[in-house]
Amino acid sequence: MKSSKTHKQRSRSQKQAPKPDAPGILNLSLDNAATGLIAILSVLVSLTILLGEQAGVRVRVNLPENGLVAPYQTITFTFSEPYNPGFASELVSMNPIHEGYLEWVDTYTMRFVPIRPFELGVTYTLKFEKGEVETRGREVKKAQTWEFKTREPLVAYMLADETSSSIWAVDLNGNPPKRLTDESVKVISFDAARIGEFIIFTVANEQGGVDLWRVSRAGGDAFLLLDCGRDRCTTPAISPDGLRIAYSREFAGPSPELPFGSPRIWILDLQSRQNNAVYEDQEILGYNPSWAPNSNKLASYDGLSDQIFMLDLREKTQSIFSSNTGGPVTWSPDSSKMLFTDVDQAEEGVRTQVKLADLSINKSETLIGAKDDRDYSYYALAWSPFGDNVVLSFHGGDDPLVQTLWLFDPSTLEGIIIADQKDYSYNSPQWDPWGTALIFQQFKLRSTFNPEIGLWQPGFNEPLLLTQGLMPHWLP
Amino acid sequence: METATSSKHLPRNLILATAIGILLIVSISMTPAGFFTWLGGRLNVFSTVFLGIFVEAVPYLLLGTLASGLVEVFLDRDQMGRWISKRPVAAAVSGAFMGMVFPVCECGVVPLVRRLFHKGLPLSAGISFLLAAPVLNPIVILSTAAAFGWGQMLFLRVGLSLAIAVVTGIIFSVEKEAGNVLRPALTLSIEHDHAQTESNDSFVEKIRKALLITADEFFEMGRYLIMGILLAATLQTFIPQSVLLTIGSGPVLSVLIMLGLAILLSICSTVDAFVALGFVGTFSFGSVLSFLVFGPMVDIKSVLMYLQVFKRRPVFYIVAIPFMMSLLSGLLFNYLLP
Repeated sequence: MKSSKTHKQRSRSQKQAPKPDAPGILNLSLDNAATGLIAILSVLVSLTILLGEQAGVRVRVNLPENGLVAPYQTITFTFSEPYNPGFASELVSMNPIHEGYLEWVDTYTMRFVPIRPFELGVTYTLKFEKGEVETRGREVKKAQTWEFKTREPLVAYMLADETSSSIWAVDLNGNPPKRLTDESVKVISFDAARIGEFIIFTVANEQGGVDLWRVSRAGGDAFLLLDCGRDRCTTPAISPDGLRIAYSREFAGPSPELPFGSPRIWILDLQSRQNNAVYEDQEILGYNPSWAPNSNKLASYDGLSDQIFMLDLREKTQSIFSSNTGGPVTWSPDSSKMLFTDVDQAEEGVRTQVKLADLSINKSETLIGAKDDRDYSYYALAWSPFGDNVVLSFHGGDDPLVQTLWLFDPSTLEGIIIADQKDYSYNSPQWDPWGTALIFQQFKLRSTFNPEIGLWQPGFNEPLLLTQGLMPHWLP
Repeated sequence: METATSSKHLPRNLILATAIGILLIVSISMTPAGFFTWLGGRLNVFSTVFLGIFVEAVPYLLLGTLASGLVEVFLDRDQMGRWISKRPVAAAVSGAFMGMVFPVCECGVVPLVRRLFHKGLPLSAGISFLLAAPVLNPIVILSTAAAFGWGQMLFLRVGLSLAIAVVTGIIFSVEKEAGNVLRPALTLSIEHDHAQTESNDSFVEKIRKALLITADEFFEMGRYLIMGILLAATLQTFIPQSVLLTIGSGPVLSVLIMLGLAILLSICSTVDAFVALGFVGTFSFGSVLSFLVFGPMVDIKSVLMYLQVFKRRPVFYIVAIPFMMSLLSGLLFNYLLP
């Protein structure tokens, strides 16, 4: 019967079933090939386990290839196997010794968080000794060392003209500045992370709203971080640990011609991408958010009630201090105190004052200006990262436009004038991570508007012109 | 005669049913009250898990069966012969990349691959398509990128899935007789199917036929999908994830646990990256990777569906080879990284 099939029938029946591929590999059956492969894989699995177990636990550290780290660089240890924090922490050392603490992140990750910034010019040696890292006896079989130094800080600032507004960065060594955002993006305001890795800035969108953008320290890679649509998201403030952004959000009106709503403070979590209003109570307004150095407290100003709201995000407690200036606050290094300005309507007239709020007792007192013979119009404040002094800009002389910078000890109120050149006005001071250098905005009065960035360090007789630009921020 | 036999057995069955009923009532009355509260809670978990997987999987099964119907009506056997190489390695590789054309997850790929076998798709291409398509398709690539970013995890997931699918496809290419791999019903339907595809229908008629095939296949495969989901939900209800998670540390055990979870959870590959993201930090990189690679290839519901297309032993190979390769890759990454 088979032989009676036509050639056409035979060729059709050959096509019918999903024929295995024409020429098979070798001359194996499926069972032989599959079981052979499974056997080979079993051997490879066994060998991998055998060799892997002999190699022991491996540790990797997130240090950059060039060995240059940020002053507040968190050093992350990643283990190839689950570790015991108690065991592992015994094996870590640093030379020279540096103040900080080891933190358990997850089953495989531990990190060293520096309390003080790593010093410039010092070579640090990090060592992980060999030894057991977990309770079952699994161990790191070979000691490892890594070396790193602290990188030179940059200063980020804005350059604006009629058509563009960009963020630039410059070092303190006189090298040419570098543009971080391109011309197509028109920056309104920005904040630089204390960890120095990125900048968050605001840009107007086509719908009339303002969005949050992000760009890295190296620049050229700006991207939209938060599309706010028709809402205005402004005054971003990055938490010192670099994990959250606080900003002020004004909701758009029901139609474009209607005004925006009142500003409220929101927080965007950069890891989870959660984005929520800080206060559920819509009556609490807020702008100019300011993070405490420990990243757990957030102050903001409510211009409707003339109050500064301070929220402890960890303890879920809230403190309120009256202030009617709306100026930003500055924090003590231990996050327990705040300095801010207020205006008092005294019998002799208006007096601007500097107030000190102690968050442990929820009280504030006037630190400066209680007995001033006239109004000195205190403006921006900057508390040194190590607490030994504060810089204050104030209107000291007869010229109403002139603002001077005064460096003082908050415990004795004794200090020195550090910037009062004739025809110059100074504002927005910011300390570097070590508290050894100060940058600020300076303007030459009665001339073309040409904002400059000044630099002051102990030993300087007068400030140094760093570059021309606006809104200086350290980019450590 | 049959009627007489049935009526003769009826009293015995009745007695048996009554005895079981009494036994149940006695057992229930003796059971502590807390048991029913516990059982109620478990049933809630069961229904939630069942509905979760069902709602997630059914649209993709529908998509797969629709693709199957369209393939049946519009794809000509000769076209298939032209597109797919007869050489084993080339066929396996091209089969693996077919997922880019047919964006189906593991629920939809089974009816589709069965239909493609009807159309003369070589075994090696079909097997590699079956294993690779749930990962190598645009939806899954985008969802993995959304969860893990355009980085190491995404590229390794795609690369390893491709490699495992191709290797398994090549292994199947040594089989000379499709009847040794495919179930007899499928081989017979191929004969029948071939005669039908000779007709010259209008476009509307073809669409009608495609939809009829879709409906038939949807209900046919849907049964096995539901059975698989029932099994997965039962296992998840009575073997809580937390039990597995607590024992899942260490470079070897973590991979084994994650491979077990991949089978147990039966999550659709379009969303499994987000579930896997939750395991990062608790489980090692290698184990999360093996979960992402193995899960789309093998889980409870897909194995039940494979059994409707392939004989038991080939199904064992389809499960065992990806399992061993995923285990090996997970171990290598655990021991090589960091």
